[in-house]
Amino acid sequence: MGTRITKIKRTFKEGWDNFRRNGWLSFATVSVLAISLYIISSTMIIGVASNIVLKNVQDKINVSLYFNSDVPDDKIQEIKSKLIGYQEIKSIDFVSKEKALEQFKKLGNNNPSITQALDEIGDNPLLSALVIKAKSAEQYDIIVKAINGSSFAGDISRIDYEDNKAAIGRLITIIKIVEQVGLTLGIVFVFIGVLITFNAIRLTMYAHKQEFEIMRLVGASNIYIRMPFIFEGIFYGLFSAFTVMLALLVTSKFLAPITQGSISGGDIMDFYLGHFFLILLGLLISGVALGTISAAIAIRRYLKI
Amino acid sequence: MLRFENVSKIYPGDFVALEDINLTIQQGEFVSIVGHSGAGKSTLLKLLYAEEQPTSGVVSFNERSLDSINRKHLPFYRRNVGTVFQDFKLLPQKTAYENVAYALEVTGETDEDIAQRVPEILELVGMGNKMGKYPRQLSGGEQQRVCMARALVHHPMVIIADEPTGNLDPNSTWEIVQLLLKINSLGTTILLATHNKVIVDKLNKRVLEIDDGKIVRDNEKGKYSSTTPKAEVNTKSL
Repeated sequence: MGTRITKIKRTFKEGWDNFRRNGWLSFATVSVLAISLYIISSTMIIGVASNIVLKNVQDKINVSLYFNSDVPDDKIQEIKSKLIGYQEIKSIDFVSKEKALEQFKKLGNNNPSITQALDEIGDNPLLSALVIKAKSAEQYDIIVKAINGSSFAGDISRIDYEDNKAAIGRLITIIKIVEQVGLTLGIVFVFIGVLITFNAIRLTMYAHKQEFEIMRLVGASNIYIRMPFIFEGIFYGLFSAFTVMLALLVTSKFLAPITQGSISGGDIMDFYLGHFFLILLGLLISGVALGTISAAIAIRRYLKI
Repeated sequence: MLRFENVSKIYPGDFVALEDINLTIQQGEFVSIVGHSGAGKSTLLKLLYAEEQPTSGVVSFNERSLDSINRKHLPFYRRNVGTVFQDFKLLPQKTAYENVAYALEVTGETDEDIAQRVPEILELVGMGNKMGKYPRQLSGGEQQRVCMARALVHHPMVIIADEPTGNLDPNSTWEIVQLLLKINSLGTTILLATHNKVIVDKLNKRVLEIDDGKIVRDNEKGKYSSTTPKAEVNTKSL
């Protein structure tokens, strides 16, 4: 156990020395890896933030079915229980005409002229309704069509569909484009990043060629010979992750004013700070993974033991 | 202790480096391997420290076939075999002490153990007073002593010396040979590949002659003199 720790300590130091001595090469490697991670992480942040915005918008959409005034509440409840079986429907609220009136009055802040107008009518002019929320924005069309073709279509006075469809559609398209472009760019840069890291490690290997031969001859284990390069790869990844954390902080600060109030009531900076450790963890894991993969490829290709 | 059974080594392009070698070397022997350049001496030695694998046949160490050693465990086997080369293979950026210590570091020895063993072994090879010198500050003979210290530091059962005196002047050559004899007297088996007729003749120990990949002579107390005309030319040229 003690031997193992000693070996890890020595290979760690060797890896750190390799990273440090590579100077500009390390700087270039970290930069390219950081660009890859930056593109991927910012795409993900835009994706997550846009989805929050989209969800907020979607939450405000619903379809209201207004029933003819002669349809009794029992029947409406019956229809409600039928509709709840639809898998596209997330929730259904029953709003009786009495409740609707109450809400209407409240909306008008008990404005005397409205109250007076209602008194003049004498009867409650409002209709009982079912307010339906779908699981996703695209499903409202299907729900409305299904209701129109149902056996109780005749009981419905009108269907109110707050048609934000076009706006939502546009938002979904933008999110999809951003995600696709970001992902494609990210993949391209990950590939370049791995290639550059792999090349940096290959150069270190070339510089240490004589040491490998000696290490082998004096009986160093294969893992001992390989570990410094794995650590070197990990260092590239770690430094890239920290660089990206900083770059994201600067970007968030820059974008904060134009995103004010759009992400759960806050801006992109609040989102970044609120998810700081999650983003850091994600970046560290991906950075270390990329560095390790690059080192593993270089070892596999160039380190003959 | 060391055994070759019907060992052949053929490199790509049908180049036969060794052909049907049968050989046994006992613990504590001092064996000189002679033959002209390209005869197969280095290949024979490489098979012993598992740098190369035989194309056919079995090389065994203490009755264990090297073939049966898992690649993962080869480094542990190599700690039984110390190697010394003509070109020293010292790390230029490390001192004599650090070069020897390096051999212990890579096998996970503790710092305390290293601090104790390295000076002892450098003392043994007569380099105790030059531990802090870099290879460029040492003569060829001194560098080779450091190499020997590095080879010895794991207390190997065998020392393989491939032309260790090839780059040395006669005085240094003789000092290295004396050192090899001293190590041998402590029980370590020595395999010495050399072109140096004077050394082999003076040693008066076992001599193997290799020519065209075959053992053409194996004398208990042999001289450098060879049986093949090709080798004779070589001998004369020395």
